Amino acid sequence: MENRWIAYLIPPFIVTLLLVAGSQFVFIQNSFYQDLGLGRTGTDLTLVNYLKFFTDSFYLKTFWITIKVSAIAALLTLFLGFPIAYVVARMKSKLAMFLLAGIVVSTFVTIVIKVFGLIIIFSADGVINKTLLNLGLIERAYSIIGTQEGVVVGLMHFTIGFSVLLLYSVVVTVPPSLEYAAQIHGASRLRVYQRVIIPLCAPGFVVGGLMIFNMCMGAFTSAALLGGGRVLTLPVLVQRTVMMEVKYSTAASIAFVLLVSVILINLFSLIAIRRLRSARLVVA
Amino acid sequence: MQTWTEKVILFVWCGFSYVFLLSPMVVVMGASLHGGEFSAAIKFPPDEPSFQWYSKIPTEQFEALALSLLVAAVATFIAALIAIPAALGLVRSNFKLKFAITSVFRAPLQIPAIVSGIAFLQLYYLIFDTSGLMLAGTIPGMLLGHVFIATPFLFGTIVAVLQRFDHRLEEASYSLGAGRWRTLYRVTLPTIMPGIYSGGLYAFMVSFADVPMSIFLTAPGFVTYPVELFYAMENDFDPSILASSSIVIVFCLAMLLVVQKVVGLETLLRSGGGSAR
Repeated sequence: MENRWIAYLIPPFIVTLLLVAGSQFVFIQNSFYQDLGLGRTGTDLTLVNYLKFFTDSFYLKTFWITIKVSAIAALLTLFLGFPIAYVVARMKSKLAMFLLAGIVVSTFVTIVIKVFGLIIIFSADGVINKTLLNLGLIERAYSIIGTQEGVVVGLMHFTIGFSVLLLYSVVVTVPPSLEYAAQIHGASRLRVYQRVIIPLCAPGFVVGGLMIFNMCMGAFTSAALLGGGRVLTLPVLVQRTVMMEVKYSTAASIAFVLLVSVILINLFSLIAIRRLRSARLVVA
Repeated sequence: MQTWTEKVILFVWCGFSYVFLLSPMVVVMGASLHGGEFSAAIKFPPDEPSFQWYSKIPTEQFEALALSLLVAAVATFIAALIAIPAALGLVRSNFKLKFAITSVFRAPLQIPAIVSGIAFLQLYYLIFDTSGLMLAGTIPGMLLGHVFIATPFLFGTIVAVLQRFDHRLEEASYSLGAGRWRTLYRVTLPTIMPGIYSGGLYAFMVSFADVPMSIFLTAPGFVTYPVELFYAMENDFDPSILASSSIVIVFCLAMLLVVQKVVGLETLLRSGGGSAR
């Protein structure tokens, strides 16, 4: 019996391995050739592209901005995503499914369309600017294109649907009976949050937060459109280096740095899952 | 029991999140009803609502939409052909390197799409240099990339369904005299169908919405819809783009309703569509 099922596995595995290894190998190898510009590369293997990346302040600054906006976006996404996940998970009516359907649809719609909407909302005579101007909070219309705040908002829109679904699956694992038990023993609601809900959801927050951070690090579309060429993140820089400067090996080396950082964060979150799981067993 | 203060706080907090989440889509649909001639006056809510821009959508956008639909549909189909046997083989068999093999199938999810995009472009250049066959800017080239990013979604959901599969169903089928293939077609596949449908939906939607992979594999006159939108936004755009975007939003809604009818939303959520990413 066992061998029969392995036979099913072999053809798709070969196809997938070829696609994964083939594509990744070619660009990683390219990143180790010197970039001569205009699509031409040197013939000797060298580390020159990476030396340039880690010594040039422009690249280092881009790297730092990518980490910064991703971290802020991930934290804010968790902050906005948690109440929806909690309310929907605790809801007993049909409305819960309806609310989740709204989230699922929003994850289907391409981020370009959402950025369209954002640009209209934040345009000079859009809703937000008019309100703020009328209230006298700002002196002239504020534009989000080309600002780091704009990129953060774009990244949040890229990840929030996914993060609500993720946090929902975390909250569902905390049975409401635990909340009742705490309250029967005299805990206030605030105390229930402090001592029951938040501690039990914390592992999910940490792991989910890392996954969202990772998605933000690799997010191209929203960062490119809202950065407007003035705020660069690593994915945007990869695309610009290929399309505008036609420097394939430089782009490949930036892409590889991005890939390695994302994989390191993944490994870190795997370790975090293990640690938190075993810690939780001790508590239980 | 929740106190009233808590209910109010959660309601306001939740309401704010929902407004944040859904407002861009509502605004795009609203602004697509723009009545004026000049795109500089695009506004929400629109001044004099009309459907005029819906009849002015240029043919390039319909061609891009058609290409996106075709690529997403075929890529999902091929991804299913890869993911179904892979998931069956992996869940049913037992060997040492299982974790490593699973990682290979899930790898495309870990790799940022922009990295996969540049990787496929450079792979295609290498193939061109050695054999003279250019895949970038062709349907097979685009499909290969999309199969790559779509497969893990199907794989993830089918594995999730298979892990809850009741083996006694198959044993019953065997003991009633059905052979291997008959059991596969009449018992196993129908049972995992909900997983295939919901995974397929996610795979289709990821492929249909993709920019970072497709942007490297397009050519003049060969552009998928999101990439067409992307370029339109970098330049000046007119409200016909908003009209076609609204059509796409309605299409996404319709897809969800279809799935709700076929497998139910709960299956979609339970099969880990979210966690697959």
